[in-house]
Amino acid sequence: MDIRVLRPSDIPNVQTANITNLPENYFCKYYLYHAMSWPQLSYVAVDVSRPPKTPYDPPKIVGYVLAKMEEEPADGVQHGHITSLSVMRTHRRLGLAEKLMRQSQRAMAETYGANYVSLHVRVSNAAAKHLYSDTLGFTIEKTEPKYYADGEDAFSMRMDLSDLRLKMQDSDDEDEEGSVGQDEGGEVGSAGKKGEGAEAEKKAKKRKVKMGRGLGVGELVERNEIQKA
Amino acid sequence: MPQPLPSKENSLFKQVVKNYEAKQYKKGLKSAEQILRKVPNHGDTQAMKALILNAQGNSTEAFELAKVALKNDVKSHVCWHVYGLLYRTAKNYEEAIKAYKFALKLDPDSAQISRDLAQLQVQMRDYPGFVQTRMAILKSRPHVRQNWTAMAVAHHLNGEFEAAERILTTYEDTLKSPPPKSDIEHSEAILYKNTIIAESGNIEKALSHLEAVMKNSLDRTAVMEMRARYLLLLDRKEEAQKAYRALLDRNNEYRAYYEGLEKAMGLDRTDDDSIPKLAELYESYAAKSEKVDAARRVPLDFLQGESFKTAADRYLRSMLKRGIPSTFANVKALYRDPAKRTIIEELVNGYASEQLTNGSAENHEGDRSSNKFDEAVLYFLAQHYNYHLSRDLSKALDFIDKALEMNPKAVEYGMTKARIWKHYGNPAKASEIMDEARTWDERDRAINSKCAKYQLRNNENENALKTMSKFTKNETVKEALGDLHDLQCMWYLTEDGEAYLRQGKFGLALKRFHAIYDIFDIWQEDQFDFHSFSLRKGQIRAYVDMIRWEDHLREHPYYSRAAIFAVKAYIMLHDKPHLAHESLTNGFTDMDSMDANERKKAMKKAKREQEKQEKAEAERKEAEKKAATKKPATGADGELKKEDKDPQGTKLARTKEPLQDAGKFLSFLLEFSPKNIEAQNVGFEVFTRKNKHLLALKCLLAASSIDSENPTLHEQTVRFRRTLDTLSEPLPPPVAKVIDSTFTLIPTSTSLSDYNDSFISKHSKSAPHVQAGLKVRQLLDSSSLPQNEKELLATLDFDTIELQDAKNGLSLLGEWKSGSEAREAYINAARKRWPEATVFADA
Ligand SMILES: CC(C)(COP(=O)(O)OP(=O)(O)OC[C@H]1O[C@@H](n2cnc3c(N)ncnc32)[C@H](O)[C@@H]1OP(=O)(O)O)[C@@H](O)C(=O)NCCC(=O)NCCS
Repeated sequence: MDIRVLRPSDIPNVQTANITNLPENYFCKYYLYHAMSWPQLSYVAVDVSRPPKTPYDPPKIVGYVLAKMEEEPADGVQHGHITSLSVMRTHRRLGLAEKLMRQSQRAMAETYGANYVSLHVRVSNAAAKHLYSDTLGFTIEKTEPKYYADGEDAFSMRMDLSDLRLKMQDSDDEDEEGSVGQDEGGEVGSAGKKGEGAEAEKKAKKRKVKMGRGLGVGELVERNEIQKA
Repeated sequence: MPQPLPSKENSLFKQVVKNYEAKQYKKGLKSAEQILRKVPNHGDTQAMKALILNAQGNSTEAFELAKVALKNDVKSHVCWHVYGLLYRTAKNYEEAIKAYKFALKLDPDSAQISRDLAQLQVQMRDYPGFVQTRMAILKSRPHVRQNWTAMAVAHHLNGEFEAAERILTTYEDTLKSPPPKSDIEHSEAILYKNTIIAESGNIEKALSHLEAVMKNSLDRTAVMEMRARYLLLLDRKEEAQKAYRALLDRNNEYRAYYEGLEKAMGLDRTDDDSIPKLAELYESYAAKSEKVDAARRVPLDFLQGESFKTAADRYLRSMLKRGIPSTFANVKALYRDPAKRTIIEELVNGYASEQLTNGSAENHEGDRSSNKFDEAVLYFLAQHYNYHLSRDLSKALDFIDKALEMNPKAVEYGMTKARIWKHYGNPAKASEIMDEARTWDERDRAINSKCAKYQLRNNENENALKTMSKFTKNETVKEALGDLHDLQCMWYLTEDGEAYLRQGKFGLALKRFHAIYDIFDIWQEDQFDFHSFSLRKGQIRAYVDMIRWEDHLREHPYYSRAAIFAVKAYIMLHDKPHLAHESLTNGFTDMDSMDANERKKAMKKAKREQEKQEKAEAERKEAEKKAATKKPATGADGELKKEDKDPQGTKLARTKEPLQDAGKFLSFLLEFSPKNIEAQNVGFEVFTRKNKHLLALKCLLAASSIDSENPTLHEQTVRFRRTLDTLSEPLPPPVAKVIDSTFTLIPTSTSLSDYNDSFISKHSKSAPHVQAGLKVRQLLDSSSLPQNEKELLATLDFDTIELQDAKNGLSLLGEWKSGSEAREAYINAARKRWPEATVFADA
C-alpha cells in the first residue's frame, strides 16, 4: 500500500471509504474544500498492486486521513485538526492509519507551522484510542458530552507538534550550511542540536504563519452574489 | 443609464442592496416595494427585487420581473448583471455569459461584473475569453496580487506557458523586499511558476529555478518530489539518488520513491544482474525500520524461485505471527504469477500442518501469540481458496469454519464466509451470514455497509435500506434514502438500482441511475466557487489539479457503470415497452414462455406486489405530511428539498422515447470512456435501433480497436452487416461510401455463416465466445436450434466457464424459446457443476 498525498481525483473514492466506514459523512464539496485550502495535509493509502481493468480505473483507496488547519483557533494558537480518518476493514492492522497520521502531522508543522493537532474520537472506539494515545502519543484534553449525533460522548484529544517543528528547524539549518559549503556531508545529528533546542523552540513560537483570508465553508457556500451601489 | 431616484428612494435602494447581501430578504423586498410604489417602473429596483425573489426560490417570478426591468431600462448594467445572475443560478451559463457581457459594455469598469464573467468563462472552459477578461481586470487593478496570479492561471490553462510565467515574474519583480517565509500565498505562487516552467518542457530551467527558490518554500514534500523528478529526467543520477533517498527517509511507504531510486541507481527489475542489487537495496531499507512494509513487500514482486520462496516465507511468517488479518490482501496481487501462487499455497499449507504436528508452528513463542498465528493461518487459507485465481470453495469453507471455531465472533471471518457463499452462487445464504456477522459488531459501519451490499445483491432492497438506516441520521424527507442521496453514497445507489433492474423494476432502477447522473452534475458544479476561493487561498497548484480532474470527471467508473446499466434498461424498454408496467409482469419472467396457469399466477403476484407498494407509498406520504408540519423538509446538506413528484420512477420507465433518454447517459459515456468496451457495445445497440448507421459503425470500430475478439462485438458486427444487406431503402451515397471504405471487419467475400463458424472454432474453449457464436448462428438460421442447444450445453464442461457465463447461457435458451427438454438438460448439467447455486437449484 502506498501512502501519498491526496489528489482531487481521489475524492470520490475517499468519500466512499468514509461513508463505508464511519457515520460522519460529507459531500464532495467539503472534501474539495479541504483539498483546495490545505492540499498538503490530507493523505491516502492506495492499493497499487491491482492491474487496472480499464484506463479509467481510479486508484484503489483503502484508507485516508482528511485534515485541516483550524481557521480561527479559539486559543489563538495555530493548530491542525483531523476531520476524518479511516481504513477499509480489509486493510486494517497493517499500520496504515499510523502512517497516514504521521505524514499529515508533519505537513501541518512544516507547511503551516502548526503547534499541535487536535481531533475528536468516540469514547467507545478502542482501536482509534489505542492508535492515538499509545501509538502516536495524543493526550485527552477533555470529554465533550453528546458530541456525536447519536448521543455518544467524544474525547477531545491533542498532540503537541513542537518536536516536528524542531526537526524542521534543524534541517533548515542544515540546508543553510550546505548551501554555503560548510560542513560538507556532515550529519547534523539531533544530539548535537540538543543544547539549542530551547532557543529553536522560542524561534519557532514566534514564527507567525499568514493564513489566507480565513475563509470557512460558510462563506464558501454562501458567496456574495453582488456588490454594488 | 440607470434612472435617477429621489434622494429618499435612493437611500432606500442602497438599503435593498445591503439587505440582499445580508440575506435579509423580507426586509429587502419591503423596501423595494416601497420604492416601486413611488417609481413603479424603476428598472434597477425591479432587478434587485427579482434577485431577492430568486434567492427565495421563486425563480420563475424572478425571471419575469427581471425581463420587465430590462424593458424599462435596457441600458442599465444592474439589470443586465441581475439577468446574468439569474441565469447563473439556473445553471444556464451560456446565457449568463451573454448577459454579463452586455452589463460590462455598459459599465466597463465594474470589477464585480468582470470577476463574475471570468468565473463563468473558466467554468465553461472558454479559455480565450477567460484570458481576455482577466487581462481587463489586471489592467484596472494591477496592485492586487491575485489579479496577477489569476492572469497567469488563465494563460496557463489556455496553453500559453511563457505568457503565464512572464506574468508571474513581472509581479515578483515589483516586490521591493521578499515576503516573509511564512507567506503561503507567495510560497505557492513561486512553486506554481515552477510547475509551469516544467510543463513547458524546460526541465533544466525548472530545476535551477526550483533550487533558487526552494529554501523559501513551505511545501517541502512537493519541492523534494519535484526536484528528484527533474534530476532524474535530466539524468543527473548521482543527485537524483540522493534526492530519492531523502524522500524515502520521510516516507518509506511510497513506491514511486523506490522506483525513482531504482532508476537513479540504474537498476532494472527485468534484468537478472540487477536483482541481487535490488534485493540488497530493499534489505537496507527494511533494516532501517521495523514498521516499514513496502521495503519487505516490494521484493516479492521481482524475486523468483528459491529466493522468492525464502523472502515470502519470512514475510508471511512475520505478518501471520502478529495475527494480521489483512495479510492476504497484501499478497494476493502476486497470484497473477502461477508459480508464486503455488509457492505461497505450499508455504501456508505447511504452516497449517506444522500446527497439527507440533501443536503450533510457533510453539516456541508464548501461548497467546501462537494461537494468534494458528488463527491467522486458517484465515489466510480460507481467503486463498476463496480467491478467484486459486479457488476451491469447499476447502475455503472448511478453513473458515475452523477459524470460526477458534474465534466464533470474529467479524472478518463471518465476512469471508459470506463471500464464499456468494461465490457459490447463493446470494440468499451469503446475505444471511453477512447479517449475522453484522450483529457481532453493531457499532462498526464497515460490516454494516457490507451487509447492506449483500442484501442488495440478493435483491432485498427494503432490508438493505433498513440496515443502512442504522448509521444514517434519517432526518431528511425520505429518511435514510434521502441521506444516502444527499451524502452522495454512490455505491449504494448503484447497487440499489442494479437490484431493482434484476427484478424488472425499471422505474426504481432508472430512478437510481438518474440520481447518480445528477450527483455527477453536482460534482461538476462544485468547482464553481473555487474559481474565486482558490485565488483568495493562494493554493493554485491544487486548483489547477482540480480543474484538470473536473475536465474528465465522468470517466469515473461510478458514472460509466450506472450509465451502462441505464442505457441497457432503456434499450429493454424500447424493445419491450410492456416492461415499464411492472405491475403486469413479474420482473423479467418472459410472459410468452409461460403456460396459462403460470401466467395467471405471475399476474396475481404482480398485482399484489403493486397494491402493497401503493399502500406503502400512501403511508409514507402520510408520515411525510405529518413530519412536514413540524419543520420544513431539508436535506442533510441543509438545503430546502422540493417534493419528488415521481419517487417510484414510474414516469421515467413509461417514457415515450427510451432511446432518446438513453442518449443522455450515452453521450457522456462515449465522450469520457471511449476505451470502455462495454460503453461501445451499448452505444451500438442504441444507434442501430435509431438507424444511425455511421454512429453504430463508429462504436464497432472503437470496440474493435479495444478488443477485436470481443464476443458482443462479434455478434454486433454480423447484425450490422445484415442490417446493411436488408435495408428497405438504399443509404444516401455519401454514407454508403464511408461505410464501404471503413467497415472492413468482415471481408466482403466471406459469407456470414463461414465468418461465424471460424469465430466459433477460433474460440472453441471459451464460453462467452461460443455463446456469441451460437447466438449468431441462431439468428442466421433458425433451423439450427437443436445443434445450438447441444453446443451450448457442451460449454458447461469448459474448464474456464464461470457461473455468470452459465447464467447467460440459460438466458440464451430463454431468448431462443427453447423447449423444456433442452432447458432441463442444461439446468441439470449446470446444477451438477454448481450444486449450491440458487439460479439452477430453483430453476
Ligand atoms: C481506527 C482505524 C483507523 C485504525 O486503522 P489501522 O490502519 O488498522 O491502524 P494501524 O494498523 O495503523 O494501527 C495503529 C495501532 O492501533 C492498534 N490497533 C488497530 N486496531 C486495533 C483494534 N481493533 N484494537 C486495538 N488496537 C488496535 C494497532 O495494533 C497499532 O498499535 P501498535 O502501534 O501498538 O502496534 C481503523 O480501525 C478504522 O478505520 N476504524 C473505523 C473508523 C474509525 O474509527 N476511525 C477513527 C475515527 S476518530
